[in-house]
Amino acid sequence: MAGTIVEGRNVSDNRTLTPDFCIIGSGAGGGVCALKLAEAGFDVLVLEEGPNIPEVDGPAPGQKRKMLNEREVDMYKLLYQEGATRLTKDGGVKVLQGRCLGGGTAVNWSACLPPRKETLIEWQKRGLPFTRDNLDPYLREVVNYLPIVRNDKYNTSARKFMLGCAKHDIAHDNLPNNTHECRECGSCGVGCPYDRKMSGFVKWLRDAVDLGATIYTDTKVDRLSANGDRISEVHAHFIDGKTRPTNRKLVVKPNKGVVMAAGAIGTPAILLRSDLDLDNRVGKYTHIHPVTITIGKYPESTFPAYGVPDNMWTPEFADGPTGYLIETGSFYPVLSASATLQHGDELHRIMRDYYPNGAISYAHHTTGFDPNEEYGTVELDDNDDPELDYKIPKANVKPMQESLVMMTRIHLAAGATSVYVMRNPPLEIKNDTQFNEIRKIDFTEPQRSTIFTVHVMGGCQMNKDNKRRCVNNDFTFSGKKNLWVADGSIFPTALGANPQVTIYSLALWAAREICEQNQAAFQFHHQQGGDLPWPGY
Amino acid sequence: MAGILSSVLAASAHPKERSEVTATTFDCLNRKTALILFAVAEAVLGEGFLLKAPRFIETVDDYLNYQRPAQRDQFLLALLIAETTFGLTIAGTFRHFSHLSLADRRKILEKLRSSSRSLRRNIYAAFVNVSASTYYASDLTWADLNYQGVSVDHPEILTQAPPIPWRPDDTRPIED
Repeated sequence: MAGTIVEGRNVSDNRTLTPDFCIIGSGAGGGVCALKLAEAGFDVLVLEEGPNIPEVDGPAPGQKRKMLNEREVDMYKLLYQEGATRLTKDGGVKVLQGRCLGGGTAVNWSACLPPRKETLIEWQKRGLPFTRDNLDPYLREVVNYLPIVRNDKYNTSARKFMLGCAKHDIAHDNLPNNTHECRECGSCGVGCPYDRKMSGFVKWLRDAVDLGATIYTDTKVDRLSANGDRISEVHAHFIDGKTRPTNRKLVVKPNKGVVMAAGAIGTPAILLRSDLDLDNRVGKYTHIHPVTITIGKYPESTFPAYGVPDNMWTPEFADGPTGYLIETGSFYPVLSASATLQHGDELHRIMRDYYPNGAISYAHHTTGFDPNEEYGTVELDDNDDPELDYKIPKANVKPMQESLVMMTRIHLAAGATSVYVMRNPPLEIKNDTQFNEIRKIDFTEPQRSTIFTVHVMGGCQMNKDNKRRCVNNDFTFSGKKNLWVADGSIFPTALGANPQVTIYSLALWAAREICEQNQAAFQFHHQQGGDLPWPGY
Repeated sequence: MAGILSSVLAASAHPKERSEVTATTFDCLNRKTALILFAVAEAVLGEGFLLKAPRFIETVDDYLNYQRPAQRDQFLLALLIAETTFGLTIAGTFRHFSHLSLADRRKILEKLRSSSRSLRRNIYAAFVNVSASTYYASDLTWADLNYQGVSVDHPEILTQAPPIPWRPDDTRPIED
């Protein structure tokens, strides 16, 4: 019998539920576990802090579409943590994370990369069991289920990037997406209104509900209660459309256990609120991919909001513990305006000069490979809400400067008349004699430049080192037999690639472990056949 | 502690009345902080900014609901600190921020931006980010950017070829 989605904002009574498994979070990890545990015959309950994405009437009679209107101001507050205004504790990094049914899978730009070989080798040194060979069936299951495809319709940013890379002889390639017959509206980042992005609520969660899973949205988990080595209860409350408590509460008494999948900030926060802090290890060793951004200004209109956002990249600079990979994207008025660090006439000039004629490239930087380098810590504020205390590691400063130089070179080679670098004060580069200005940017000081991240990892890591380990290699939380962690918080380092596919794959592995530990069959359905969409992987 | 500070600063804040600020009910702001926000936004965006973003105050007020409560409180506190102290500590005058000329308010913004103190730079970033992003969220500003709007309102965006083809030499139609 099919399950259901319950919107917590409409619940008018206190409730107690007794599923087999309670999965906390509906993003990449939660969606996978929901489907595979439901498929194994378990009664599955998913709790999601963010809202459901209801359907509304579409433009044609009888047609339905997701209530995603592509308007930034509406969608950021609907779909993102803290309305897309989440910052690190010192204000230095903007942290964009999903907070809705589907979590990050609902708002990411559909980029699908496998885990880097170098990262897996580093993780093996830290005692993790994952190799390219043993991950292969999980990866193929993900690729074939979603599916992940190479979409070769390039927007202007990608086309300019290809041109610039070619002139500098920089290897570049298609970056596969989890889209199906993409309409090229460019709105992945504010939620695909056409269900062409194979996000969690289009695939994993929808199929899980078809198999009987129940999802509660608008449901914020306060804490877990333990009884010895087992989690006995999950305590949550419902929130309204403006994220305020409704004063109605939910208690979950799981028969089998709890799966944490609230992400690298959310999972540690719930564990900390539950006093499950393992001698101060939970929340520690959190890593991000700091993102540096350039906007090239071209002589012609570029329509930067439209077209497939993220399907071109170069891996040429990705190697090493502080490597970076450059990708291209779409950009929109609100996000652009929030990153300018400008005011007055200059603000409007920058917007009018660079938006209509702009093309974007940005670099994700790898962090966390040096065990002695700085790391982030998830803490609780006075209201018990999480905040990430994070400083850009010193080892990443030079690579971040160099990624800006490299992206600027590529833009200029592609015909850009100037390149906007989000420094404070802003920097407009017109030729290579100005590159030294980029090399003076101090990324360790907040608000000396605009730094984003869309990938937060670690904080509840898998590790052979007792001083760092929170999660065992079978995905159980240390000291608790019926608590598993299946999200990016288990990463011992930053991944060095967009993490969606890796989280899906590891969550499949986790689901298999959970099934086996509970005497149930785990099934692969799609792992056989077909080429992986990453040549040379 | 922050609550006490906010109360004290709110009591001493008497922001300049502006007839343009017509909102009367608020979720997170109040009349005083709305007037200070207007003075800040005018310094960031320029005079007459409400013409293209007529629901600016209401939009910010609504948006504050979604922020982490501690961060929301910090923003509201920053408005009160700006109003009651920046005139003296940065501009060297006893006049409060909202009573200063546009040029003087912009001098304060410039000093915040270049400050060696990260707290001041953070306040600058908060003021310009909130002001600029709310302003450019308004449909009326999009023509200045040659932004044609969202596809669900204008599906022709997906079928009209822009001046620069996204994929020249590729004759495949856009799927529907």
